Amino acid sequence: MPFSLASSFWDLLLWCFVLAITLGASILLVLLVSLTISQNTIPSKCRPRGSPTHLMIVLGSGGHTAEMLYMLERMKFAPQLYTYRTYLVSSGDNFSADKAKAFEAQLVQNSQDHTHNTYTIVTVPRARRVHQSYLTAPFSTLQCFWACLSILCGLHPGQKLPKEYSSFYPDLILTNGPATAVCVVAGAKLIRFFLCLANITTLCLGLRTTSTSASTPKLRTIYIESWARVSSLSASGVLLLPLVDRFLVQWPAQAGRRAWWGMKRTQYAGWLVI
Amino acid sequence: MKLCFVTVGATASFQKLLEQILSSQFLETLAKRHYTHLLIQYGKDGQQVFQNFIDSDQPHHGLTLGGFDFKPSIDAQMMMTVEREALNQERGLIICHAGSGTILAGLRLGVPLIVVPNPDLADNHQQELADELEAGQYVISSSVKDVGSAISRAETQKAEVLSMRTGNTTLAESMSDELSFLD
Repeated sequence: MPFSLASSFWDLLLWCFVLAITLGASILLVLLVSLTISQNTIPSKCRPRGSPTHLMIVLGSGGHTAEMLYMLERMKFAPQLYTYRTYLVSSGDNFSADKAKAFEAQLVQNSQDHTHNTYTIVTVPRARRVHQSYLTAPFSTLQCFWACLSILCGLHPGQKLPKEYSSFYPDLILTNGPATAVCVVAGAKLIRFFLCLANITTLCLGLRTTSTSASTPKLRTIYIESWARVSSLSASGVLLLPLVDRFLVQWPAQAGRRAWWGMKRTQYAGWLVI
Repeated sequence: MKLCFVTVGATASFQKLLEQILSSQFLETLAKRHYTHLLIQYGKDGQQVFQNFIDSDQPHHGLTLGGFDFKPSIDAQMMMTVEREALNQERGLIICHAGSGTILAGLRLGVPLIVVPNPDLADNHQQELADELEAGQYVISSSVKDVGSAISRAETQKAEVLSMRTGNTTLAESMSDELSFLD
């Protein structure tokens, strides 16, 4: 019976279609809701000042790196608070690596105690090289994302975090917008999602009675939009708006933006780079 | 020494500004205002214009001229426009294209800045930045042909940007909040 065969084929196709739409929509909904919950969750104050604190600073091409170091210098960066620093640079970017080294040398010079060797510089492959084709860019971005994940988990061969740090995950990630930053922040969010899932699972199974990961927040993220952006967000800024925990802007016209209803708004900070 | 440092950007050429800077009229204006040195980062394609000027017998009006196409960092050159008595350095002037990196570095030094947007480069957000900074009286924005008359306006600007360098604790507070430090 060719007619009923055809009909069942179309039925099957229709059901597959409905299933795919439903699945896609629910994944999107879970994603939106979890991003909204995540961005609105404020950790309670629990970390004593001076306790081992691991800060990750994402450096980018010339302009981004210069602005980041201006800001660190300007805020009177206190190495006794951010006791260990990991600088993330793109491969081949010697300028940024040198700037980070010079900044650390300055920190040692300014401080009386011997707080040397409390940083590393790690290198990731570029998300997209200048003039790289958009066809191959997704692959190099994936490669960059993978490298960022392994660095966030402390699996990169160059990393040597001292023993007193309870976990390899950085406590705070500071970035101002190279393409790599999007990979790092997305990676941090992904790890936090799985940590949260694992936490909920163990709680539900009754393996633990109190949640320990809630005690010290990990992988928190701050994004600072470039000083050069007066009225429109950069591409990285648009992508990171729903992902970061705090979004600072340096011009009044950029204040109050948010990714969607219920999300955190950008915060006007004044000029941070001068 | 009183230096006028001109930078046209490393990646694009800006011949029109270069020609204006090397015009007898502009050099005379500089000399009248007691500048002793003129240093030009002329970028790609600028070498020929600069070399032609040096080789010609056009008047220098007593100015010492120097030029280069590109350096990885021009921080040292910009520093030479800062007033430093020990080095017998007077407060100079920086003339730059609308590149945000150069403008920011100049503002941080508190040196008078003349921004000359390159009309051949359609970069909206850099133009926007230059306009906003002009409106806030942080820099003087000028077209290529008016750059000579912009000098006196730039020099009378106070280095008030430097006074902003006190007490913005927003970043430190934000970091402290996100790390949930106990107060």
